[in-house]
Amino acid sequence: MTVSLFDQFESPLFLGIPLMAIALVLPWALLPKPCSRWISGRYLTLQNWFISRFTHQIFQPISHPGYKWALLFTSLMLFLITVNMLGLLPYTYTPTTQLSVNMGFAVPLWLATVIIGMRNQPSLSLAHLLPEGTPTPLIPVLIIIETISLFIRPLALGVRLTANLTAGHLLLQLISLAAFVLLPIMTATAFLTWSLLVLLTLLEIAVAMIQAYVFVLLLSLYLQENV
Amino acid sequence: MPISPVKTRIPLSSFGHLVTEVKKQLFGIKDPSPDQLTGWRKYFNSYTQQGRRNFVLATYGILVITAAAYLMHKPNKDGKQTSASTH
Repeated sequence: MTVSLFDQFESPLFLGIPLMAIALVLPWALLPKPCSRWISGRYLTLQNWFISRFTHQIFQPISHPGYKWALLFTSLMLFLITVNMLGLLPYTYTPTTQLSVNMGFAVPLWLATVIIGMRNQPSLSLAHLLPEGTPTPLIPVLIIIETISLFIRPLALGVRLTANLTAGHLLLQLISLAAFVLLPIMTATAFLTWSLLVLLTLLEIAVAMIQAYVFVLLLSLYLQENV
Repeated sequence: MPISPVKTRIPLSSFGHLVTEVKKQLFGIKDPSPDQLTGWRKYFNSYTQQGRRNFVLATYGILVITAAAYLMHKPNKDGKQTSASTH
């Protein structure tokens, strides 16, 4: 029986019930809730420190009206980083390898930033489509290019996260399969392959965190232009 | 240690804005003041916010009119071809 390498990306079903819902709810179950104690425990303190640092970093360049997005961006970041990291455990399912999940995050949030910009400052939002100081002959071309780049943003956001995680998981499976197959045949080569697998796993841990951060950072940049 | 000539934060979400900022900071190309813009340049330019907005609206308007004219012309052209083939 040949096992397809893409079986790991199939949305899991148990007795006809999609387990995607449990996978999506898992970060909520694992992350600590704020408690009413005077001094919180280590885990909660670490989470609070991370949230505080992240919010400060992301919202530093954004003006005051954009601060109401802090809860949304911070919870999105926590969700993405938790889901990505949980997906690195063996035999677990990563929801963010599905384009539908990532586009479900990217499109509404990007559209919200565009609508907020058009509603609150329509003149500035339209002016953003033409960079300052553009030579006159280039103006129509550049407006069309900027419009295309505006509409390609949600697609890029979703596909970037999907492609990075899918490629990483696929590589991990391929190299682990190679190491496993080579073990009885060429032990030294299998050891080298295993070393490569360890390094790749460290890389994937970094990619999981970085891609979550990049997703939220780009959304904050789009918000910064429009708020 | 060489210091970067780029002084202000360049928005990375648009290539066009990046080119404009580099042009301004590295080559010293300065924008004309609003008093120097006269005639149609006062309303259509790539320096003031209103000028850029007007250019964007004009470009979209021209594109919409062109698309509408093409779509209006196309069904008439299809109708003429079918009537010519039946006769």
